[in-house]
Amino acid sequence: MTISLDTVSASRAGRPVLHGLSAELGERRIGIVGPNGSGKSSLARLLNGLLLPDAGRVRVCGLDTRTQTRAVRRRVGFVFQNPDDQIVFPVVAEDLAFGPRNLGLPKAEAAARAEAALARFGLGHLAERPSHGLSGGEKQLVALCAVLVMEPDLVVFDEPTTLLDLRQRNRVRAAIAGLGQSAVVVSHDLGLIEDFDRVLVVDEGRIVADDAPRPALRWYVDRLS
Amino acid sequence: MTPSLYRPGTTRLHRAPAGLKLAALCAAGIALVLTGSLPVLAAAALAGAGLVRATGVPLRALRGHAAGLAWVTGLVVLATALLDGPDQAVAAGLRILALVLPALAVTLTTRATDLLDALERALSPLERRGWIRADRVGLAVALVLRFVPEIAGQAAALREAQAARGVRTGPVTLIVPLIVRTLVRADAVAEAIDARGYPPGKDERPR
Repeated sequence: MTISLDTVSASRAGRPVLHGLSAELGERRIGIVGPNGSGKSSLARLLNGLLLPDAGRVRVCGLDTRTQTRAVRRRVGFVFQNPDDQIVFPVVAEDLAFGPRNLGLPKAEAAARAEAALARFGLGHLAERPSHGLSGGEKQLVALCAVLVMEPDLVVFDEPTTLLDLRQRNRVRAAIAGLGQSAVVVSHDLGLIEDFDRVLVVDEGRIVADDAPRPALRWYVDRLS
Repeated sequence: MTPSLYRPGTTRLHRAPAGLKLAALCAAGIALVLTGSLPVLAAAALAGAGLVRATGVPLRALRGHAAGLAWVTGLVVLATALLDGPDQAVAAGLRILALVLPALAVTLTTRATDLLDALERALSPLERRGWIRADRVGLAVALVLRFVPEIAGQAAALREAQAARGVRTGPVTLIVPLIVRTLVRADAVAEAIDARGYPPGKDERPR
């Protein structure tokens, strides 16, 4: 899985948020940190075409996010900070089947994928539960399952542990650590990304540090915390 | 309040096809609007209560819905009594019960996806004429079922926050921030739906 950012600038709600970013990302685990409002979530959104560049080009596995958005979204899953925004069906199993059905899979196959994804995280007992009644950690894991059932090559997480207590945070951390796919994780939870392969530090819409986790996080803590 | 009402089970109502249940509900609804006979309406309301009982869901699990239904029915009966007299008020109350109780039984025993599939099948003739996109109607209904409890929860949280700050909660002080929050939330949900591959491409429409 290779991600190529070529002098990318982008805006959200008419406000410039990213300025001339360039990077080649091929590592299996990549962390993104930065202060609030620095542009790290916008950078994550570039990776599956939720945000399109105003200038420059983003390519994921050689696919241009602007011109091949659907193909990019088939390969890049996105887990949002607030799982309540991501879970759109009233019952868990139904929600998990939504993505595969959008891929054109028959109902039975979508249901089988949903069942397998829940079983993988020991959540099979949640299949028939109302989505709104789950705990925060369960919702975040269900949101992850809803992405994994689409069998993406890369999963992008936008602050996946921010709303969780310690126990739930550990469950989500373990789930991310156990993923077979490549992952890009935006987080304020430095412990979550300290064992990753590479960390980008973003500030004021620019990548201001790009290194192995230890030096990158030290730079972040020294300069921006 | 739990609009995602479905409760798994193996009763005959659970096993009945969603399309058949929806069609029966529609037919009963039309018939109940057309009749003003008190004995017929009373029998229909009783039958509706019987259907809810037949779902096998414990009555204590339905207390919240019963309270809501009682409020609405009471208000309608009161207003009709004042405007049209007692006979019309009784008919209106019975009609509401006869409409809502079977609908409750159907939603208790039918998965949302099955209801949506049935709805999409029912709308498919209109889709073939190019008048609507049935899957969009289905998704809209699913979102209503999913987010009504969330919005109710947000309303409760707003009421608490306002009470904590000494603000007297009224319709305006509650509804305005609730609408703003809901609209902001709608943007986030739309983004998430995009990220999950919706709408399916022409070659990807669910089979």
